[in-house]
Amino acid sequence: MNDSRMSSLIAAILDGDCAEAVSQAEHLVRGGARPQHIVIQGVEAAMTALDAKCTVQHFNLLEIMLAGRAVMEVMKFLYPTGMVTAESKATVLVASLEGDVHDLGKNILKIVLIGGGYHVVDCGKDCPLPKLVEAAETSRPLAVGISGLITSIIPSVRQVKDALLLRKLERVKVIAGGAALKQASPGELNVDFVAESAFDGLHYLDRIAGGTHE
Amino acid sequence: MNSVQRTAAAVAFQETDRVPVIAQVFGHAATLAGVALDDYVRHGETLAACQVAAWRRYGYDAVFAVMDASVETEAMGSLLRYRPNQYPVVERYALADGRDCRELGLPDPQQAGRMPEMLKTLGILRRELGDEALVVGCVLGPFTLAAQLLGLETTLYLAIDDPPRLEQLMDFAAQVVISFGRAQLQAGAHLPVVFDPAASPAVVPASFFREFELPRLAQVFRALTAEGAAANWLHIAGPVAAILPYYAKAGVQIANVDYCVNVAEAAKLLPTTCLDGNIKSLTFVEGNPAGIESEAQSLLRMLRQRGGFVLSSGCEIPPESRPENIAAMVDAVRASG
Repeated sequence: MNDSRMSSLIAAILDGDCAEAVSQAEHLVRGGARPQHIVIQGVEAAMTALDAKCTVQHFNLLEIMLAGRAVMEVMKFLYPTGMVTAESKATVLVASLEGDVHDLGKNILKIVLIGGGYHVVDCGKDCPLPKLVEAAETSRPLAVGISGLITSIIPSVRQVKDALLLRKLERVKVIAGGAALKQASPGELNVDFVAESAFDGLHYLDRIAGGTHE
Repeated sequence: MNSVQRTAAAVAFQETDRVPVIAQVFGHAATLAGVALDDYVRHGETLAACQVAAWRRYGYDAVFAVMDASVETEAMGSLLRYRPNQYPVVERYALADGRDCRELGLPDPQQAGRMPEMLKTLGILRRELGDEALVVGCVLGPFTLAAQLLGLETTLYLAIDDPPRLEQLMDFAAQVVISFGRAQLQAGAHLPVVFDPAASPAVVPASFFREFELPRLAQVFRALTAEGAAANWLHIAGPVAAILPYYAKAGVQIANVDYCVNVAEAAKLLPTTCLDGNIKSLTFVEGNPAGIESEAQSLLRMLRQRGGFVLSSGCEIPPESRPENIAAMVDAVRASG
């Protein structure tokens, strides 16, 4: 159900107005709104509106980053010690694999997923496969999101699924995205899904998570 | 026709003996020669030798003195990390500590960082190949250079938080681009391609491109034309349809179109501008010669009547590409005439 008290917060996030977004979140908390409610009705609603604007032809990092910066500040205010896992839809690991030191795409995915209500474990850039698998064993995520800007990491991407399988983590889905990886099909990359954009990845996760909070 | 005449005719929408074919072979030339990429991008003579060898093998219409996207920023004080057999990346941006861009000063292309090595490459290529191949240098677009000096995320936030500072940085970047572009032309380049990935609509809205980048690109292309560039070639990857209408105003004469751009739509939006593209880069790694041949023929058929076309990849042909796939693209133009 929509909460009309959230409209100013949503507008501030969509405007990329960081200070105003945090101020609106403060106002909502003072009014008795719970953080999880603000995330679902405010932050996620803003990300949904942003998603609707960001079609494949009209998607740009600047707009996403500005809204994302506001989202991150609001989340920091609501959860100063990090989001409570139990209040998230699920946990997702994100990484750029070893050999790929570009992390902007991964960071955008992280922002979109946090704004979409997920608990995100960031394995960083240039991440060796064993480190990724270890993190998956520890955090038992719904999925692993791999962002890739260069084609030379494709052989490593192909190994992720099998490496998870070896540790009996076959239920963990693998999604890939980024300028290089999105040129390939899931079969070519040995992954479950190739996301055209960060929001495309979010939609996929929502489908497999059932779209509800834990 | 030699490659320079052929390309010039395509740019002018005049008749050619065959469609020009330009494979965007940069680091692949090193792979082909068994040279480590991190050596290739640091040594002008090595780069030139690899480019000539690749050109002789494939027989396409252009060679590239392209190192990577960090040449200018390194020359201005950014610290790079060179990794085995990979392109370098910026480890610390020249302006990361809050320095004002005016403190950096214009780098001297004859002395700063790897700029002299790139100029050396251009000189060798032009001496060896003359006009048999188009000798292409490379400069970054002003916004991309700004992002390489400050970091992309910081630069994007600057657009909103402090637009005058961003404009100042981009004005400075444009002067660097012009100075380096002129030096490349003087060293032997027929033209420098202006590589501007950060100005893609995948990164910034079309309105940002129009307000911030377009006037500076126009300034860059005017300067390159005055210095004798054979043509103004703009390379922006990604879904560029929204900014194509501004290209003519910028003075673009060759517009790169990536695989995700509808070529028929691009041709309508740019009726008098030569297009180059747009076979998907990954196809050169994952695909096969029959697939490349089919895609190339489809493009050649579509644009036969129009002219103003250079068959190419949508972006860089990855270093690890299969040589037979590149050969298939070149063969396609020879087969179709």
